[in-house]
Amino acid sequence: MSELLTEGFSLLIMGMGTVFVFLTVLVIGTTLMSRVINRFFGQPEPEPRGKRRPAAAEDLSELAAVAAAVKAVHGH
Amino acid sequence: MDKLTVLLGQSGLANLGIGQLTMIIIGLVLLYLAINKRFEPLLLLPIGFGAILVNIPGAGMYAEPIYAADGHLEAAGGLLYYVYSVGIESGVFPLLIFMGVGAMTDFGPMLANPKTLFLGAAAQFGIFGTIIGAVWMSSMGWMDFSLADAAAIGIIGGADGPTSIFVASQLAPDLLGAIAVAAYSYMALVPLIQPPIMRALTTKAERKITMTQLRVVSKREKIVFPLMVLVLVAMFLPSAAPLLGMFCFGNLMKESGVVERLSDTAQNALMNIVTIFLGLAVGSKLSADAFLNVETLGILVLGLAAFCVGTATGVLMAKLMNLMSKTPINPLIGSAGVSAVPMAARVSNKVGLENNNQNFLLMHAMGPNVAGVIGSAVAAGVLLSYLG
Repeated sequence: MSELLTEGFSLLIMGMGTVFVFLTVLVIGTTLMSRVINRFFGQPEPEPRGKRRPAAAEDLSELAAVAAAVKAVHGH
Repeated sequence: MDKLTVLLGQSGLANLGIGQLTMIIIGLVLLYLAINKRFEPLLLLPIGFGAILVNIPGAGMYAEPIYAADGHLEAAGGLLYYVYSVGIESGVFPLLIFMGVGAMTDFGPMLANPKTLFLGAAAQFGIFGTIIGAVWMSSMGWMDFSLADAAAIGIIGGADGPTSIFVASQLAPDLLGAIAVAAYSYMALVPLIQPPIMRALTTKAERKITMTQLRVVSKREKIVFPLMVLVLVAMFLPSAAPLLGMFCFGNLMKESGVVERLSDTAQNALMNIVTIFLGLAVGSKLSADAFLNVETLGILVLGLAAFCVGTATGVLMAKLMNLMSKTPINPLIGSAGVSAVPMAARVSNKVGLENNNQNFLLMHAMGPNVAGVIGSAVAAGVLLSYLG
């Protein structure tokens, strides 16, 4: 019976070890990946962001115009 | 008159055993929890109904097909038998669900702060701590769990339905019904289970910590990330490749933005279809002889312990990281490392707002939350390769 417990503990150590090692590798990999991408492909990124914002503003102004029109037609 | 006796003899009432009656009542309780209490209704409703169907005497919903000696089919089996063997015994359904979950997951908050992956790792202690609890119960002679059973029970602490079902179907199919019911019930109870533990382990000052704004994550990073996870899994932990592979596939469909129809199907239509059959098939494992024993009680207790331990270690890890790193981390986001997406992250946010009503932790907690999904899939891979 205590053999079962020993096996449980070895599973605990192995399992937590693997989870931490793997996720540490993943943290390192992710950080490197982000750095590489932002260094070598960093330039084009702000451009679409720049485009997106006015687009969002347009959407809002359109919404406001529609709302104003609705109010004008239906009164209060 | 004879025919009437035959008909009466085949009626449900005449054949109903006490075990079946109890299981039908348990099925009704699950339906009540799903409908009235809104406990993970998407799963508990099909599970509860499946439990009722499989326990109707004489209906043969879970009957195996019978073949004659020359190989022709004498009696076709029951629906639930087929659904179970096609979908769960094979591991197909949980993997399809994982694909859908991948297609719904946004790794943005995690990519903005990759260190939160450690929180997702720490919370997996709930899984392995519970395994110790289960083998300890066995060694005390209270329960009869093998190491494989213990591992399948521990995975409840991963707080991730498809992972639990996947592991249980491979390691302990007899316990699958109880494990799935425990996993989904406790996931529904996360808003009740977690806050007291989170409050007990943190000071008021810690709960008030505001975190730095997350940076914007580029689309390229989001596309490369699932591919990177896949390569790392392939290199280091192939046993986690079925789960994480499907997860990354779903995520790539979403982030690539070029197959929106497929991504939409994976997260909606296909996910819904699979959920219906997954629930029914899990319910079909709720038969009296598999469920009405002391082991089920043990599974319910251990599953709750798994959630509590995972929450606690997540919070403690966040406190540890706070001591070591310069950027402040609110320990409340540690509890989200148990997965249970997005419920656990919402709980972190709610407890944070209680202490500082300007402190929105939701996006910060989504990082450890999705990291927890990866962490529990990795833990599942370890269990499957160690015991499989």
